[in-house]
Amino acid sequence: MSTSVIGSWADVGDEFSAPDITTNPDGTKTVITFRTNQDGKKVKITQKIREVKVQEFVHPLIAQRKNWKKYGKEINTPPGPDTSTTQLGEKVELKLGTQWKQAEKEEEEAKEQNRASKISIQTIRCRTCGGDHYTSKCPFKDTLGAAPSASAPAEAESAGDGNAPGKYVPRHMRMGPDGKIPSREDRDDSTTLKVSQLNSFVDEDMLRNELLARFGPLQRVTIVRNRETGESRGFAYVSFITEEMAQRALDALNGKGYHSLILHLEWSKKKTTAPPS
Amino acid sequence: MRPIKLMGHERSLTQVKYNREGDLLFSVAKDNAASIWYSSNGERLGTLEGHQGVIWSIDVDPETHLCATGGGDLAIKLWEVSTGKCVFTWDSPSPVRRVAFSPDGSKLLAIADQVMGHIGTISVYNINHEQPSDQSVEPSLVIETPEEGAKATVAGWSANGEFIIAGHDDGYVTKFDATNGELLDTLQAHGVYTEEKIVTVTDIQFAEDRSYFITSSKDKCSTLIDVDTFDILKVYKADAPMNTAAITPVKDFVILGGGQEARNVTTTAESQGKFEARFYHKIFEDEIGRVKGHFGPLNTVAVHPDGTGYSSGGEDGFIRVHQFDKSYFEFYVDAAERTDKSAEKI
Repeated sequence: MSTSVIGSWADVGDEFSAPDITTNPDGTKTVITFRTNQDGKKVKITQKIREVKVQEFVHPLIAQRKNWKKYGKEINTPPGPDTSTTQLGEKVELKLGTQWKQAEKEEEEAKEQNRASKISIQTIRCRTCGGDHYTSKCPFKDTLGAAPSASAPAEAESAGDGNAPGKYVPRHMRMGPDGKIPSREDRDDSTTLKVSQLNSFVDEDMLRNELLARFGPLQRVTIVRNRETGESRGFAYVSFITEEMAQRALDALNGKGYHSLILHLEWSKKKTTAPPS
Repeated sequence: MRPIKLMGHERSLTQVKYNREGDLLFSVAKDNAASIWYSSNGERLGTLEGHQGVIWSIDVDPETHLCATGGGDLAIKLWEVSTGKCVFTWDSPSPVRRVAFSPDGSKLLAIADQVMGHIGTISVYNINHEQPSDQSVEPSLVIETPEEGAKATVAGWSANGEFIIAGHDDGYVTKFDATNGELLDTLQAHGVYTEEKIVTVTDIQFAEDRSYFITSSKDKCSTLIDVDTFDILKVYKADAPMNTAAITPVKDFVILGGGQEARNVTTTAESQGKFEARFYHKIFEDEIGRVKGHFGPLNTVAVHPDGTGYSSGGEDGFIRVHQFDKSYFEFYVDAAERTDKSAEKI
């Protein structure tokens, strides 16, 4: 890239030289062009082109019109389509059929699913190593976890207790990314269901992998437990990715049996005291 | 299929049109130059420079010798297609909304809009092909808007130039005798199948043999009407105002284009704008497919005279030239399956 002063900003885009065209002995042409790709990197494009003449029989009038001289804005342009006015578009599908609406809908749903699964990957992030698992289950917990993370002291101070940097601050009292301690009222519970009438031995993993696995990826599963004994109190909060998924689970599971008890599902209301996470 | 994107216009398209052989594509937009393109590769033959403002309509004679444009600058211009020179200019009392050559190219009709104190008219000019620069200034026939009716918005010629068919602002379609301008028939084609307030007829395009035609309207419908009996044969219902409609040769389809009003476009997502070209089965009236691509409503659609492709011009300022895939020609509606289904419904 040249470091000289740019004369006119309009010319900035033309920093690459004209395509380098060489004719090979076998009749093909090699065109080498340089351009900047989306990441701002300079890339070299080598195209090998074989020109094939296709003879076509057309109406003599059409052939005659093909030889007309260009005029107007095109008066000085060489023959052939000009890339500034004519470009090849993206491929489009025309699927003819009376059921086209249904096919389109299915496609849309598949896209939605795809998007949802991407979100679920992003929502879980380990604070120790940055991987997509919970911090407590981090495989590098012992090696990396020992070093206090850079944000820990700041978090401790924000909690109003700055005497020991390593002091434990409960999750709900830590600062969020926006510098505020998130309150329970702020949390978006629109996709959260309350699942009650659970047998006491049912744990998070059973809910996640057994009961709710087929309703799509889950953001969060929390079973409410007795603080002293750690025994399940028989109900849980489950956050889905989208409201539709939650609605599907609600419709399918409400009133159904699970481990000897009849499940009861309902929307988690904003006022409901959220479980400690 | 892989469309060719033509980006020669700076503003939204108002009309695209193929010539008789389909090798040239004529386009006009709200900028002041018309463009002529080779439809096979998208190469631009040239531009027609001379109008002062928006050009509403373009048409070409069957020999691709002369083409006519009508614009908002109160001018109807006649051009030589091979050189791009303007050979004649008629003055119009008000903006010209539509120009159309008769099937033999001997006459040209032009609709003057009902604005600026002018009563809407359809004027017919005789075209002198031997001396293109020597045309009679006065129209050979002027059809004024009927007193109780609304202004004409679009018009075209029936077979042999026998009748002039016009679409009106109030959803009516009328048939005039092309020799003396006598009102022969009138029919309310739009505003009956839906309860829309705006029922302007936005486009009229004829079938290959000009024995029937299709209309499109802001009332979200499109109708197929027979010229002789002047009855509505088919109705195609859409979910957005339609700006244009065309009949495909070879296959029994019609193509509708439209979408939400241009002024509301910025308020909704692209996916809800309904900016697709819609394919309907001409006989069964079922919607059978859509083609995406534009990011504004479609203002105009034209089908290649051989039925091998179509072009659409949008509010977004682009023309997309499509070549149909093999699957398009192989598609047939299974009539037996269709009857079973409608029987089930009953």
